[in-house]
Amino acid sequence: MIVFLQSLISGVLIGGVYALVGIGLTLVFGVMRVINFAQGDLLMVGMYLTYFLFKLGGVDPFVSVLIVLPVMFFFGAFLQRVFIERMLGALPQNQILLTIGLGLVLSNTAMMLFTSDYRILSTSYSSGSYKLLGLSVSQPLLVSFLITAAVTGALYWFLLRTETGQAVRATAQDREAAQLMGIDVRRTSMLAFGIGAALAGAAGALVSPTYYIFPQVGSAFTLKAFVVVVLGGMGSVVGATLGGVLIGVSESLAAAYLGSGVKELLVYVLFLVVLLVRPAGLLGKSRV
Amino acid sequence: MTLRALPLSPRLLAVLGVALAALVAVPLVVDSSYALHLFIVLFSATVLGLAWNVIGGFGGQYSVGHAAYFGLGAYAAMILFHKHHIPPWYGAFLGMGLAVAVAWMIGSITFRLRGPYFVLASIAVAEILRLAALNAKPLTNAAEGILMGDVPPLVLGPLRIEFDSKTPYYYIGLFLVVAGLLVNWQVKRSRLGYWLQAIREDQDAAWSLGIPPTRTKNAGLMISAALTALVGCYSAMYTGFIDPPGVLDIGISVQIVLTCIIGGIGTVAGPVVGALLLTLLSEALRANLLAAALFGLGVPESSAFGFFLKENLAHAHVLVYGILVVVVILFMPDGVLGFVEKHLQQRRVRALAKVVAQEGR
Repeated sequence: MIVFLQSLISGVLIGGVYALVGIGLTLVFGVMRVINFAQGDLLMVGMYLTYFLFKLGGVDPFVSVLIVLPVMFFFGAFLQRVFIERMLGALPQNQILLTIGLGLVLSNTAMMLFTSDYRILSTSYSSGSYKLLGLSVSQPLLVSFLITAAVTGALYWFLLRTETGQAVRATAQDREAAQLMGIDVRRTSMLAFGIGAALAGAAGALVSPTYYIFPQVGSAFTLKAFVVVVLGGMGSVVGATLGGVLIGVSESLAAAYLGSGVKELLVYVLFLVVLLVRPAGLLGKSRV
Repeated sequence: MTLRALPLSPRLLAVLGVALAALVAVPLVVDSSYALHLFIVLFSATVLGLAWNVIGGFGGQYSVGHAAYFGLGAYAAMILFHKHHIPPWYGAFLGMGLAVAVAWMIGSITFRLRGPYFVLASIAVAEILRLAALNAKPLTNAAEGILMGDVPPLVLGPLRIEFDSKTPYYYIGLFLVVAGLLVNWQVKRSRLGYWLQAIREDQDAAWSLGIPPTRTKNAGLMISAALTALVGCYSAMYTGFIDPPGVLDIGISVQIVLTCIIGGIGTVAGPVVGALLLTLLSEALRANLLAAALFGLGVPESSAFGFFLKENLAHAHVLVYGILVVVVILFMPDGVLGFVEKHLQQRRVRALAKVVAQEGR
């Protein structure tokens, strides 16, 4: 029972980060129908930013979220403006290839600049934990989960309550109708991609105290983000939040009961099962 | 299936015949083991591109998980040889069978859906196989990989092939290229090919004409998978060693896609041109020719930047691939071949317009 609860808690905590990456992906997909294969690589950029802020400036990784968020937002908006924008009317396959190419450029530039060495960002609390009713809760995971929750909450508020946020949702629902209602769709797209990149970067900052930092770290996160998004229903922000936590929990339970080798495998098998049984995802519209 | 008349003009046929004869003669004339190695690498890249082209090019269904089939071919042949001493050319059949089965599974799950599910599932399945190979130690030796011992000679009637030099691999590779080309031409001109192309252009219209989309795409994917697995087996034999990152990595899948994208999708010549360009490029990078060219253009070699270039460009071929994809997708979505063709056509149209304008006056 203790093992179960323990894995459940760490699964939820890790799942928060997956949700963050997934929300960025699903938002971009919703607004532009573009699948961003560079999402994990943007996370990698966030990790390196955090690492160097810590090494060179002594900025705590959790504080650096405040710096990484805006920097990655502008980087994402830049990518949208220069590359993605030109491809909006193109074949979906070509859009996918474009983002794969961008991801390759990002990860291999990082490899050139920083070599492929694994780096570790160790803080005073990296291996610290709180005791709670006989369960131990990892300190960095808990803090990162709380920040994730705050960021997600702020995003929900933005999307639901502000006029700009409603413009984003309207564009996601029907791009042409939104345009006819006077919404600047191009600006909204830039905003969406910026937010997507900012969320990936923030996730990178949040996991940097607990993960190895290396140039190829992104691809695993990209794949996991897809699973999260498809599980939740493509384009659904609430679905991605739910999907992230679900994937985190199933991974953590699999690691506890089936061994850590099976953990990653299970995520992808789960993905195929979702496609087979309920391809629309938990909260998505049917796309059969 | 009878061989249909190939869709080639006599002139092209003659050119191809001469090219083939020249390629057959290469090992008789060329002594350099490096040159033969280059050809072998080029051949396998070409066949992989041709294999991908069947479903990606004609069917418009981009698989970014062809490493799965490549790896299945490689592992099936190597495991059978290593554990049971069954020669790899029999293992190749098992690998092809497994690849077809996996392709059928992916296709049946995702081809009935619309949207990007096929791409995602193809990546997921390749990852599943990579992780499985990493974890199934008794079967695959996990991360240690499998080292192939000496391959026994292949006896085909009076022919006895010893695998003690690069020459037999060269000829097998050339044979595979010819086979890949024939498969492409056959598919392109068959009912399956027309159906695939119809689905690529407009699935709804194709369906309304009675073309079954799921089954057709499945058939294309299965052909593609079988051919890819065959190259996987060939490549594993040639390298003599396989491990999960070597044959099941997503990088392999991406490289296969790149070959077709850069050459031009949906044409038979596209993958050939793409493989040629990519192989030459990656060799040029490895030999640091690109850095040398930049220095020739006036970049100071002794500066810190020059040193950085020299140090890094040799290992930067994936970075260069990435840049190439972005540039090709943005500016030449039909690949290099399509780009050249379009420009030639525009020139012809302009010349024609000029003639018409002059005659009008």
